Amino acid sequence: MAGRDFREAAHLPNLRPGGEPASPEELPRQRNGVTPQMHGRYPDYNVLDEVDHWDEVTRRVVLERTENVPRIRFFSHGEAATLGAFCDVLLAQDREPKIPVLNMVDAKLFAGELDGFRFADMPDDRETWRRVAAGLDAAALQHGSIDFAGASQEIKEQVVEAFAEGTLHGQVWDELPPSRAWKVVTRGALGAFYSHPWAWNEIGFGGPAYPRGYARLGIGQRERWEGASAFETDPVKDTERRRVQGT
Amino acid sequence: MSLRHELRTLLRGALRPPENDSAFLLDVHRRAVPQERMARYDDSYPVDLVIVGAGAGGGTLAQRLARRGWKVVVLDAGPFWDPDRDWVSDEAGAHKLYWTEERITGGEDPVELGKNNSGRGVGGSMVHYAGYCPRFHPSDFEVCTRDGVGEDWPISYYDLKHHYERLELELPVAGEYWPWGDPHRYPHTAHPIAGGADAARGGARKLGIEMRVGPVGIANGSFGNRPHCIYRGFCLQGCKVNAKASPLVTHIPDAIEHGAEIRANCMVTHVELDESSGRVTGVRYLRDGHERFQRADAVAVAGYSIETPRLLLNSTSARFPHGLANQNDQVGRYVMVQGAPHIAGRFPEEMRMYKAPPPEISSEQFYETDERRGFARGFSIQTVGPLPIEHAQHVIGHGHWGRALREYMRDYNHWYTLGVLSELLPLPENRVTVAGGVTDQHGIPVARMDYSQCENDRKNIAFAKRTLHDIFEAAGAQDVLVTDRYAHLVGGCRMGSDPERSVVDADHRCWEVPNLFVADGSVMPTQGSANPALTIMALASRLAERLDLKRSSGGSESARQSRRSRRSRPVPMRAGGG
Repeated sequence: MAGRDFREAAHLPNLRPGGEPASPEELPRQRNGVTPQMHGRYPDYNVLDEVDHWDEVTRRVVLERTENVPRIRFFSHGEAATLGAFCDVLLAQDREPKIPVLNMVDAKLFAGELDGFRFADMPDDRETWRRVAAGLDAAALQHGSIDFAGASQEIKEQVVEAFAEGTLHGQVWDELPPSRAWKVVTRGALGAFYSHPWAWNEIGFGGPAYPRGYARLGIGQRERWEGASAFETDPVKDTERRRVQGT
Repeated sequence: MSLRHELRTLLRGALRPPENDSAFLLDVHRRAVPQERMARYDDSYPVDLVIVGAGAGGGTLAQRLARRGWKVVVLDAGPFWDPDRDWVSDEAGAHKLYWTEERITGGEDPVELGKNNSGRGVGGSMVHYAGYCPRFHPSDFEVCTRDGVGEDWPISYYDLKHHYERLELELPVAGEYWPWGDPHRYPHTAHPIAGGADAARGGARKLGIEMRVGPVGIANGSFGNRPHCIYRGFCLQGCKVNAKASPLVTHIPDAIEHGAEIRANCMVTHVELDESSGRVTGVRYLRDGHERFQRADAVAVAGYSIETPRLLLNSTSARFPHGLANQNDQVGRYVMVQGAPHIAGRFPEEMRMYKAPPPEISSEQFYETDERRGFARGFSIQTVGPLPIEHAQHVIGHGHWGRALREYMRDYNHWYTLGVLSELLPLPENRVTVAGGVTDQHGIPVARMDYSQCENDRKNIAFAKRTLHDIFEAAGAQDVLVTDRYAHLVGGCRMGSDPERSVVDADHRCWEVPNLFVADGSVMPTQGSANPALTIMALASRLAERLDLKRSSGGSESARQSRRSRRSRPVPMRAGGG
């Protein structure tokens, strides 16, 4: 397994043949704290090590996300199975540990926390999620699978690809514009995933910063507590250098 | 260099704003606005003015008039925020700062509302704006004459100029010397900028595009009892530090000190009209589920470009069956947003764009019309610092989901983002209406906003995106992601000189109702490509001047007496020795 040079952007889908991303399996395993699926782009950085530096109100809000996973109350059992599988494909959560995205979405919808608008040709966001569940099952059925959750990974990805491109059609989708519905559900799912401290560990985000703030703002600078990227240190050179210092 | 310039440089940051002690009335040890001494008016007491909405317009108007001895009550639908208790240093946790009640968005190019453009609570949407405080250019007030598009304002830049100058001291605004529009200096020195802004500025310079630091409504240094900015980057989530300017900290404390009442959690549902005289008598509002009525000699609506038209349209009567002041079907029309695409660029080094306030540098070099570009009017370029959720939406908007999305997001720290504000033109069919049959939790019909771009708008946005792309290329970006979006809201009750084609006159007075005023961004006939906050405040400041002038020349004896008695109020204690 070769290390990557993140100064080069060769791991980014736009710069790779076929637009396929590099495999996350080439990254080290997270060594400190948790990331979703334990991919370690910042393997020794755990934002939760910093909780003592956060103000109390923020600390309560953020820790709640890791400590209390809300149970599903808004979606039916069947809807939750379909949408849970959809969120896993959408966010490439193919194994544990997983951020409980659907539970977080469900809690918001159950509490009626909506975003302040709906498109004129769309139902309420809550209804949109329910119809998307039905629409995903119907699309899986068109591919010969009994439902979305039970479909093969390949079929799931085909359905999500069609959803992303706005080309789903038939039944539910004739009354629910797929490109608008895509915006509604991705907004909800991304809002849940990237509000979770495990995702912050994965992307090296500093997280809450009150009252401490930041002092090192320049190019390539980081606070002493912010995490270093994997492969930032060449292990061979590092060992050599340290030996020199040690003698 | 003149002596005057030398003196200004020497005094930079040391000058105290005239006639506004807000920064000194705040508490040193807590962020909440002290309310212990706030006046409480009885509903039946006919106050001089009731203002609907405690944001950029309403907050500024209340402070100005309270200073002049007016008895003012401000009603706001949202809470009186306590930054220590109510706000979090967290992206998702900022959800409650936005107007999240149902609204319907339609048209060919519908606008996403909510978090990006609609505030709630005392301080309004300036609680979650980035902090950019540019002035409009003199050309903005006469685009029809100059460029043959849009509409001329009934006032000119020079009617607002001294209000701009005064507000820049009050917020205060920090930035480099500003060479665009009417060239001017800022009272506070520019803030340091982060790595990404540095790289972007370098790229722009290679193309001959000048970018300057500022102008931002964040004090550089402590200001009164407002502490120094800590560069934590959560400006859009509400400034827990009190460093960023919003009416909550810049005008509300002084308004309270001079006798204004800020009544939070009060949703105004109806502006009441006396059918015989054709004058408004006050407002009906809901508080704790009960309907109440506040009497007032005059009413100023400052609920922003959706709620202001909605309130007027919902305030029907025998005289105004289609909504208050709407005989000519102008209320709700010409509502505007700015085209605000974001372009993110990838750099070899880590940029960590979550640090430092998102507003850092900007350019107004493309602000006015340049016929070679093939469209009228222009755009400005600014930095934005999206936090993870917003950046993820940016990535998925570009078509990356699943593993590609995760890979891009793991790369977050290498990215930096610029945005533009394209001046989109006012169109009569871009309008706010009340949606038949759809009501909110109180049973009040909700607003529907329809929005479609015209050809000039599309050309402007496309050109602006190409320019940003070029800047990132020149700066050495390895990959670029583009996403389309809108920002800001203005218009909907525009001012004008023709009653048939506008809602209010040059003094914000409704043509059809003599004691009803509109005091927010909805009066703007055009929007330029500047962020609207400072101009909304400047308009409110000018309105206060006009109102008081009229009143002191023609007002009743009792009004003059009440002003005198207010003036005799003891001068407040000033903490901090400032």
